Amino acid sequence: MSAVVEDKPNSLWRDAWRRLRRNKLAVAGLIIIAALVFVAAFGPWLTPYDFLSQDLDARNLAPSLAHPFGTDDLGRDVLSRLIYGARTAFLVAVIVTLVALLIGVVLGAIAGFYGGFFDKALMWVTDMTMSVPQLLLVVVINASLKQPITLWMEARYMETMNPIYRNSALIDFVLVFGSMALISWPPYARLVRAQVLSIRNRPYVTAARALGLTNRIILMRYVMPNAMGSLIVAVSAGLGTAMVLESAFSFLGIGVNPPTPSWGNMISDGLRVWTNYPHLLLAPAAVLAVVTVAFNFLGDGLNDALNPKGQK
Amino acid sequence: MNAPLITIKGLSKAFPIRLGAFGDKAAVVRALDDFTATIIEGETLSLVGESGCGKSTTGFCILNLQRPSGGSIVYKGQELAQLDDDAMRPFRRDLQIVFQDPYSTLNPRMTIGEALSEPILFHKLATKSELPARLSRLLADVGLSDRFASRYPHELSGGQRQRVAIARALACEPRFIVCDEAISALDVSVQAQILNLLLDLQDKYKLTYLFIAHDLAVVRHISDRVGVMYLGRLAELAPSSDLFANPLHPYTRALLSAVPEPDPKSSRQRQRLQGEVPSPLNPPSGCRFHTRCPLAREKCKAEVPALREITPGHQVACHAVTSATTTQWEPVSA
Repeated sequence: MSAVVEDKPNSLWRDAWRRLRRNKLAVAGLIIIAALVFVAAFGPWLTPYDFLSQDLDARNLAPSLAHPFGTDDLGRDVLSRLIYGARTAFLVAVIVTLVALLIGVVLGAIAGFYGGFFDKALMWVTDMTMSVPQLLLVVVINASLKQPITLWMEARYMETMNPIYRNSALIDFVLVFGSMALISWPPYARLVRAQVLSIRNRPYVTAARALGLTNRIILMRYVMPNAMGSLIVAVSAGLGTAMVLESAFSFLGIGVNPPTPSWGNMISDGLRVWTNYPHLLLAPAAVLAVVTVAFNFLGDGLNDALNPKGQK
Repeated sequence: MNAPLITIKGLSKAFPIRLGAFGDKAAVVRALDDFTATIIEGETLSLVGESGCGKSTTGFCILNLQRPSGGSIVYKGQELAQLDDDAMRPFRRDLQIVFQDPYSTLNPRMTIGEALSEPILFHKLATKSELPARLSRLLADVGLSDRFASRYPHELSGGQRQRVAIARALACEPRFIVCDEAISALDVSVQAQILNLLLDLQDKYKLTYLFIAHDLAVVRHISDRVGVMYLGRLAELAPSSDLFANPLHPYTRALLSAVPEPDPKSSRQRQRLQGEVPSPLNPPSGCRFHTRCPLAREKCKAEVPALREITPGHQVACHAVTSATTTQWEPVSA
């Protein structure tokens, strides 16, 4: 605190932003993520080549000026595929996190604030979901639902001739988003519940009750804003985790299917030929590693910035 | 004498808890037992006692912030004790509270102006256009300038925050405020300021206070009446001057003799209590004070002493006290 009080009010968010800016690693993480968001958003205008165009005369080329990360076994430009992979990764990470967040925040807040049977039931469900091995659950969902959904889509296409039903990438996305959201929401629900439990007994919440405010106002204006700090940290880490998860599923062949580029299936493809063409493994693996680390740095920085008391 | 504002009869609060490594043993903490008192309009009634004696629970139960387990609270002819949230809402405006800890009493994500506007707008005590004037009057009432309205709680000192907490209570235009250790967490110099502020506001707005404290010097200074509590029960209730001049309950005597004397040369007789306060999980039978009372007899173990009026306005719950001057038994030696 400076001795001279400026007349502009300092909200806790502004203070947190100031602390975050002083953290070099967090700023580095933020810049990398911002760059990635930019690349993902403007991918089609940035890629030197079409990610699908094959040039069978130029297969497995080593990095050069024309192809900074070389080409793969079908002669496709690796850089272009990485950029499109960023779109996939971001799409999956953001949508999965948003869906998981929506489920987790709503259920966790209600459970923590009102308690009672709903709270107990929710805890059972989260315990149950978290006790099932995540990969196994996703494999089962994909393996068991993919065929019926595909058949259903084909049937719908025959009926309506609507081309949207021919897009098989849609099935991938729905299944990947759905199953990942299904395994991702319990930690958010538990975090929010724990936050709400600790906040709802603070004197300012009791004071709000004494003022006669309704539960909805108390929850929305007194409890939730104070739970946001921890939630933001969790989301930052969660986005990174979701990206890794998506890559892991694609790597195992249960995620996004070729030819849609995903870092996971690029790594998987590269792994088969890495002794001869290491760049096909290194490029996507390095990008995934850098992005994951960037999210972790940002998450750590946010944690320190939003919960400065823990820093001592 | 003014009219009664709130009439409390037999108010009790028991917290069910679970004990044991697996929470397999159910038990009950009897935080407040059979509290009976009438709060008179315009007075300051103080409750004193050691921590854990149930004085804060009393305040919370009166405001229905904790649901009483038994007893009755009558305000404006309405029984409050078992009202649900919606039915209680119209009464909340009149009955306010100021808490002990200035650091957690304000929502850190709201500016002072937002915090104060909330009750005003919610209870429709002013329109949006009247709001700025109303806010500035509220802030002026608690000795703060207008520019505090745009500040956040973490930019304020403890004393300033406590002023804001008082302003928030005042925003509802209440008749009754529970001051739950409202000055205990502040510096001594700030305590005096906040105390005087509370007294000024009481004059200005005809407020009634339930002042919960453990600092007897403060209580003596501001109270009209004082209630002494021990282990969830009211031991003695008397006009302030009467209580400090002529304490009748043996616990009150011990408590008053423990007050530090500013003059180091003054010698006085201290009455030291032996042992610890028993657990409210398993309170002693009969008079709850009998395990530590110098006057205890067989009767005290068996029978709960009722609160009896010894002299006008001076109520004591003790078998040994029969008049204002005599106690029935002499202290037991050793």
